[in-house]
Amino acid sequence: MDSKKLSHDILNSIERLRIMHDLIKAQNFSAIPKDELVKDLDDELKKLREDFAKLLNQ
Amino acid sequence: MDKIICLGKNYIDHTKEMKEAQPEKPVLFIKPPSCFLEIKDNAKIVLPWNRGNIHHECEVVLKLYKKNVIGLGLGLDLTLRDLQKKLKEAGHPWEIAKSFKNSALVTPIKGTRDFQKDWQLTPFILKINGEIRQESSLSQAIMKADEIIHYIDQYFPIHDGDLVFTGTPAGVGPLKPNDFVEMEYGPIKHSFTFVEKFDGF
Repeated sequence: MDSKKLSHDILNSIERLRIMHDLIKAQNFSAIPKDELVKDLDDELKKLREDFAKLLNQ
Repeated sequence: MDKIICLGKNYIDHTKEMKEAQPEKPVLFIKPPSCFLEIKDNAKIVLPWNRGNIHHECEVVLKLYKKNVIGLGLGLDLTLRDLQKKLKEAGHPWEIAKSFKNSALVTPIKGTRDFQKDWQLTPFILKINGEIRQESSLSQAIMKADEIIHYIDQYFPIHDGDLVFTGTPAGVGPLKPNDFVEMEYGPIKHSFTFVEKFDGF
């Protein structure tokens, strides 16, 4: 995967994490249930670590 | 934010005031994120006044995550009205009338739980220089939130963080420099001023 695509994916992950932060901070689980949000958070952090690792090894 | 998705002709009274035919379904168009500006209180906002009449269109804005509404704002979909009319008459796309710098103004987003009652029933108001110009609620629109998302999903890939402008009611009109704007929607209350063009716009 090229670095431009990786950067794009990383920034998209950060945007999604920001949304999750806002929802969790507000304890707003009306649209997305809490356990689903926690799973999303785990998946997104895992993907972010993997993408950063790939970018570092470019 | 990947994009801003906008609905047109989602309020019958607006289509009537424009003297246009009501389509079977609201129209869809997109503004790029580069048009977006978050409204800050007491801000001074510049528009391309030298490009013809600029009309305000006040709209409820949805912020999406996993195709759900997770945040709400009040927005101004700004339109170069004379240019849009010419382009429509020529049968041309009208992006250049809709997608200019600062043409998607949005208040800071609030969570749905910040609204004391059903946010689709909550009125939104636009005042210019102290005078109410537009007032309605999303419940008055042809398509409501769930239907809007389902409709958009048929045509555009929805990304987390996308904003949706849900259409404007009647009362659109021209803006001018030094207009003082107040926007209210439930817990959302913001005001700012449009200013004359300056070097560097």
